Amino acid sequence: MNILLACSAGMSTSLLVSKMKEAADEQGVQAEIWAAAQDKAPEEIKKADVLLIGPQMRFMKKKFGKVADEQGIPLDIIDAVAYGRVDGKAVLDHAMKLLNEQK
Amino acid sequence: MNRFMEVLENILMPIAEKLNNNRHLTALRDGFLIALPLIIFGSILVVIANFPFLDQLIGEDAYAAYQAALGPASASTLSIMGLFVIIGIGYKLTASYGVEALYGGVVALAGFIILTPQTFEGVEGVIPTSTLGAEGMFVGILTAFLAAELYRYFVQKNLTIKMPAGVPEAVSRSFSALIPIALTLSVFLAIRILFSLTPFDSAQNFIYTVLQEPLTALGSGLPATIIAVLMIQIFWFFGLHGQILVNSVFDPIWYALNEQNLSAFQAGEELPNVVTKQFIDTFIVGMGGSGMTLAIVLWLFMLARSKQAKQLGKVGGPPGFFNVNEPIIFGLPIIMNPLILIPWLVAPVVIAVITYVTMSIGLVPKPAGIIVPWTTPIFLSGFLATGNAWQGAVLQLFNLAVVFIIWFPFLRILDRQYFRNEVEAEKETTNADNKQKSG
Repeated sequence: MNILLACSAGMSTSLLVSKMKEAADEQGVQAEIWAAAQDKAPEEIKKADVLLIGPQMRFMKKKFGKVADEQGIPLDIIDAVAYGRVDGKAVLDHAMKLLNEQK
Repeated sequence: MNRFMEVLENILMPIAEKLNNNRHLTALRDGFLIALPLIIFGSILVVIANFPFLDQLIGEDAYAAYQAALGPASASTLSIMGLFVIIGIGYKLTASYGVEALYGGVVALAGFIILTPQTFEGVEGVIPTSTLGAEGMFVGILTAFLAAELYRYFVQKNLTIKMPAGVPEAVSRSFSALIPIALTLSVFLAIRILFSLTPFDSAQNFIYTVLQEPLTALGSGLPATIIAVLMIQIFWFFGLHGQILVNSVFDPIWYALNEQNLSAFQAGEELPNVVTKQFIDTFIVGMGGSGMTLAIVLWLFMLARSKQAKQLGKVGGPPGFFNVNEPIIFGLPIIMNPLILIPWLVAPVVIAVITYVTMSIGLVPKPAGIIVPWTTPIFLSGFLATGNAWQGAVLQLFNLAVVFIIWFPFLRILDRQYFRNEVEAEKETTNADNKQKSG
């Protein structure tokens, strides 16, 4: 499972990445999780199974949505509360839910 | 209140979408991003070349030789940043149309040089470096837009030479670019000739006089800066990344002002501008992130009673030191929180005014034109941005205290609220436990 997080510079999402990795390890989930800046994200999407966008960049959903559609991967905005708490588990669950819905 | 917020969000969201997804503004932002590593390299060398007290330590002659040895590094990067921005914009804009992007960058550069005066004080065959930096910023951006648009238009119109099959791809590609490039650059040559017939003499001079000078004069003033700062805060209040949205409009102005200060700083002259890229990045954003949230982190860390607020102080602390503050913005929360709207809007404006005034009257040196990455921690950033002046760091400390005081009462109310909720929640669980025991 490859989870891509995108925000403006990939800084604040990278905070979340380390927490999500911890959560994945705890649950024994095999996952590649990484963060990208918005200008790199369209390229990185090619390697991803699911894309999550930082809530402060939710105005990118339309633009990224096109690329994600082409790749056939789901995308969503990260919940603002989970983002504020840097809640790795909640966001990991969110990503897995998106992937399961797609199947 | 909720209705009102909804209405406002419905207004702001499309603006954010337009600003961030506009093809030209995106190319502009990404163009600056391409130039950034070079700009930062040049900035670091300026800092090293101007270490404080070094002239007294090694003597003035040795210091002059030392500066002369390091000078070319910033002269070839920071001082001519316009060139890299032009290539970056030309590249990114052409790429956004799915057209061979490298040619877009190259043709933008050539178009710009065509519009640039190629004499200086009567000497032929020279390009004044000032036109590649501050003075050429606006004409450079417009040139890059026009060149990339013309080039991709001619390519998409299929005005290319078709090579027969069997010709190696690299060869046919070099020919396929020929006609679009020739047509694009011919347009620029025509523009150059037309301007040489006017009193402005060159397109550079024309754009500088009618567009750049008035816009930067406006942008260097306190009113425009306060409007920009307020826009950043308002967007963030709705959880939208205000900084990058406002940057995409203000960056050309702030960078141009920055370059003016840099050339004055290097020439040892008085710095012309207070408001620059660094005024915003170091003295407004560089205090824990947009909204100067380091003061909030400190408050939470030292004075919070509720578990929620204490926890947030811990989560928000380390990233806040590097001016990443999404945990605070979404965690406190700042977004859509009517209680904190007042300090959120007031504090940055107060700090902008304090910084502007102290720099205008000379109490603190103005930003020296050095680009300090926005992730540089407080105090270090203030020191570097003002050209290695300790007053810059002291101003940040003072501003931090002011923000702390402005936020104090509001954070206390918020913390008490959280604390009460936690106590009540605890009571309820113990009550429930007791009931279970007795039942």
